[in-house]
Amino acid sequence: MKSRILGIALTTTALAGAANAADLRMSWWGGDSRHIATQEALAACGEKHGHSIKPEFTGFSGHFEKLATQIAGGTEADIMQVNWPWLPIFSANGDGFADLSEYSDTIDLSNWSDEQIEAGTIKGALNGLPVSTTGRLFVFNKTTWDEAGLELPETWEDLMAAGPVFAEKLGEDYYPFEGIGLDAALLVTLVGTQRTGKPLIDAETNEVLWSQEELTDAINFYQSMVDNHVIEAWRDRAASGVNALQENPDWTSGKIAGTYQWDSTYFKISDPLEEGQELAYTDLLTQEGQETPGIYRKASMVFAISANSDNPEAAAEVLNCLLNEEEGVAALGSTRGVPASNAAREQLLEAGAIEPVQIEAQNLVLEAEGPKIHPFMEHPDVRSVMSDSLELFAYGEIDAETAAEEILYGIEETLEDVDS
Amino acid sequence: MGGDSKYLGLWYVSPYLIGLALFTAFPFVASFYLSFTDYDLLSRPEFVGLENYQKLFTRDRTFDKSLKVTLIYVFTTVPLKLIFALFIAVVLNYRLKAINLFRTAYYVPSILGGSVAIAVLWRYIFADTGLVNMVITGLGGEPINWFGDPNNALFTITLLRCWQFGSAMVIFLAALQSVDRSLYEAAAIDGAGPWQIFRYITLPLITPVIFFNLIMQTVQAFQEFNGPYIITQGGPLKSTYLLPLYIYDEAFKSFDMGYASAIAWVLFVIIMVLTLIAFWSSKKWVYYAGDKRS
Repeated sequence: MKSRILGIALTTTALAGAANAADLRMSWWGGDSRHIATQEALAACGEKHGHSIKPEFTGFSGHFEKLATQIAGGTEADIMQVNWPWLPIFSANGDGFADLSEYSDTIDLSNWSDEQIEAGTIKGALNGLPVSTTGRLFVFNKTTWDEAGLELPETWEDLMAAGPVFAEKLGEDYYPFEGIGLDAALLVTLVGTQRTGKPLIDAETNEVLWSQEELTDAINFYQSMVDNHVIEAWRDRAASGVNALQENPDWTSGKIAGTYQWDSTYFKISDPLEEGQELAYTDLLTQEGQETPGIYRKASMVFAISANSDNPEAAAEVLNCLLNEEEGVAALGSTRGVPASNAAREQLLEAGAIEPVQIEAQNLVLEAEGPKIHPFMEHPDVRSVMSDSLELFAYGEIDAETAAEEILYGIEETLEDVDS
Repeated sequence: MGGDSKYLGLWYVSPYLIGLALFTAFPFVASFYLSFTDYDLLSRPEFVGLENYQKLFTRDRTFDKSLKVTLIYVFTTVPLKLIFALFIAVVLNYRLKAINLFRTAYYVPSILGGSVAIAVLWRYIFADTGLVNMVITGLGGEPINWFGDPNNALFTITLLRCWQFGSAMVIFLAALQSVDRSLYEAAAIDGAGPWQIFRYITLPLITPVIFFNLIMQTVQAFQEFNGPYIITQGGPLKSTYLLPLYIYDEAFKSFDMGYASAIAWVLFVIIMVLTLIAFWSSKKWVYYAGDKRS
């Protein structure tokens, strides 16, 4: 696999040296399959439009820092894959990236809905085009749940009841669910959103909408899952190192039998499972008296063009090819999830290039309701204060009220910093 | 350019000097200026005077915690590593069979030690189901929560750094081999035992090298990044959140390059003060050849 990536990289780079209409660069993060597919797509689109495109790819870890450094130095690639929540960070006034609406003659913007276009728009400038839409979903290890003699849960109550059954029937080291770090923060966010019907941060006004009591309530609910043997205690889970879920042996063996993850990560978490283990999605768990299902849905990533690009028109041609044209779409396949572009989605569906499980998950994400997500929910400082405070709470260093107070204070401070 | 040109030497070293100026001296000076600014990488730095330093010393609990962790780490790691490196160097100074093989084997970790791959390996070795706990439970003990317990996590990072004792060991070994053997023979004739020989002959004669290793290892320990970044990411409860991690997070995650520069300068001053103290104290315990004091 590695040699294939290297081979394609060398070929693409060699093409880049040839005389062409424009010499471009494109950067992205991802895994091996995305790296290969994107380079093949760049080769196809480059050939079609007479441009050469040098690939620059990394894993997700560290990509934000790399991009930040490049943008600060004005050396970013012409075409960039940008995480949607990063758009307002790099382009607070909408001028951090090229305004793609200026290239509407080249890019067929009719392939995206108004909502999707709005998601990529900052202060009236279309800074990025959504590549796909993603959301957090519940996915369970059906094999383990079957062994415990339980149906997959539909409500939080079902999940809560499963904890003791797992411990009794399968052993103390079996858990029906998991969640520390960011996952814990998003679980608390989901529970609170369902109960209050409000997002934590208002996407329109930049205001924190939850009271300290409401957040405390959601944090206490998280703790009740730990107390009921639903989620392994933070301290014990951390004993395995800071491994990603898919690297955790308890996940791959089925001892951890449920998680709350982006639908676009299905293959990442399903591939390492031991043979015979089966994953299944469910609707979002519900609770009595909930105000909303509370789906956490967002553009998973966008493609953007550098505001400093010497060849924005050529970059727009390549971008359109990758997202809308047959050659680019076929090569990229579903390596970035189910495409947001209508043309790409229809093409891939017709070709059978999207796995049924991806379609099922995408439908769950698109059909569920929930308040609009503010991109600053994933601002590094917001993420940090939520994870740090929840960790302190989980280790018994502070109580739920204090954790809630610190989280709300930290978020408000971040929002003030951004506003100023 | 003629061979006798007085600028020839300068010409030869110019690549290094240009690199030094561009990649060390300029960032060094620039970071000092930036430490007095509010700089988010994306817009122009704005001069804010001593605001960053004020915040650092008056209301930043994370800095307090990180500084404390860093000092514990340095004052634990450096002595442990030096003692271990010296001990192995003494053992490898004996004329054993296949001694070169042993010397190479002990040196290898220091080549690999700073790498990302070894940090990942370390994570697996000390995981709850890792090799170390397998040995402990095999011997009848209870498994230890190395990464999840804030009291243990820093220790695993310390062990990783100590494991990279090879470069210090090689320098110790060279120093041990340069000790005049006639001194040992004279001491043996006078009835000195191995410990007395080590304590009163070997140790004093290698103090310049101990001093050198002490300074180098201290500076390196203050700059530790890879281990905690990859193994624990500073957790749990920031128990392994060394200052370089904090600087990195502030600069590249929070986009507060001005504040990160201020932390970096505080770190620099700490290293500088400790180095000066070490130099000052060296007059009392480091013996150089020809020194008349003893």
